[in-house]
Amino acid sequence: MDEFNDNEIGKLLRLKRYEQPPPGYFENFLHEFHRRQRDELLREPLWRILLGRTQDFIFRLDVRSLTSYPAAIAAVLVCAAVISLKIYQEPGTANVVALQSGPALSTAVNAEGEWTLASPATTRIFRAQPLRSLNESADTHRAAIPPRYVLDSVPVSYESTFRF
Amino acid sequence: MEQPKTDEDQQLVARTQSGDATAFDQLVVKYTPRLYGLVYNMTSNHEDTNDLLQDIFSKAYKAIRGFRGKSSFYTWIHSIAVNMTLNFLKKRGRRFHLSLDDVDTSIQNDKEFLELTATSSPVREADLSELQRRLNEAMMKLSDEHRAVVTMFHIQGMPHSEISKILRVSEGTVRSRLFYANRQLQNYLDEFRKNPVG
Repeated sequence: MDEFNDNEIGKLLRLKRYEQPPPGYFENFLHEFHRRQRDELLREPLWRILLGRTQDFIFRLDVRSLTSYPAAIAAVLVCAAVISLKIYQEPGTANVVALQSGPALSTAVNAEGEWTLASPATTRIFRAQPLRSLNESADTHRAAIPPRYVLDSVPVSYESTFRF
Repeated sequence: MEQPKTDEDQQLVARTQSGDATAFDQLVVKYTPRLYGLVYNMTSNHEDTNDLLQDIFSKAYKAIRGFRGKSSFYTWIHSIAVNMTLNFLKKRGRRFHLSLDDVDTSIQNDKEFLELTATSSPVREADLSELQRRLNEAMMKLSDEHRAVVTMFHIQGMPHSEISKILRVSEGTVRSRLFYANRQLQNYLDEFRKNPVG
């Protein structure tokens, strides 16, 4: 009798397809998979779970699409705008600007000295008194402060020493 | 064995990547029987197959974020399965025992089985469990790499091109491994041919 040829070996091996796991195995496999995943999750340290969740979150945001060139340029421009606004809104600079600009002061007080919600342009038209200059304001400020005098005093080191 | 529709898999993969775990469940349900056959015929042990299959899907779930679709999901998941099984077999070494599944009784109606029993006296004379034992023993005498090729080609019915993608070797290598494995199986089954009842 001849030995098995390739064709017969193939046929014999294909019969192994009929070796099947117990009934219900495939139906229960998914349930078992979920159970093992839960067990695995409980055994994992907290930092690893948090890392995984963060990665999931970043992936869902699709950060890579945000890192395209137009988006990057837009982000840089927004940052530059925010930084420049912060610089111009520093307190000292803001006061000088306020003092030098007429409309900014005139919006607060009108001819009758009352508060108004009128626009700066309207207020400028009906202004009765000229605005005080920066120098006048400075003089008034000086007058309000009581004068300070420097008293003559002798330093301790100048006092005569006792001699016996 | 027919390859599943890849566009359906792509949709399920995309949904899984966007956080829909139920989509991955569908992939698990779809590929479990196929991968079970692959791993079982490489290990010849039901319990090892079950544990490996769980690990394979667990690894695939963790790695699916990095799946960019350069190959089909079918190829990708089979690559994971084959590599993990080969690693397992290296660790297991020769310390193993056969834990075989039952042969489905519908084999009696299989056309090829009927042909074999009609033309081959060893198959006719041996009972089914003896035939199963001999086939599995012959398979386990092959090297792990040769058994992987034999399983995918003869049992799962994959073409050479698909096997070469999964194993990341050339088609020539697949064909040469298959040729060598067939020669070895002929030798191992020769005893069965001479003495079919054990």
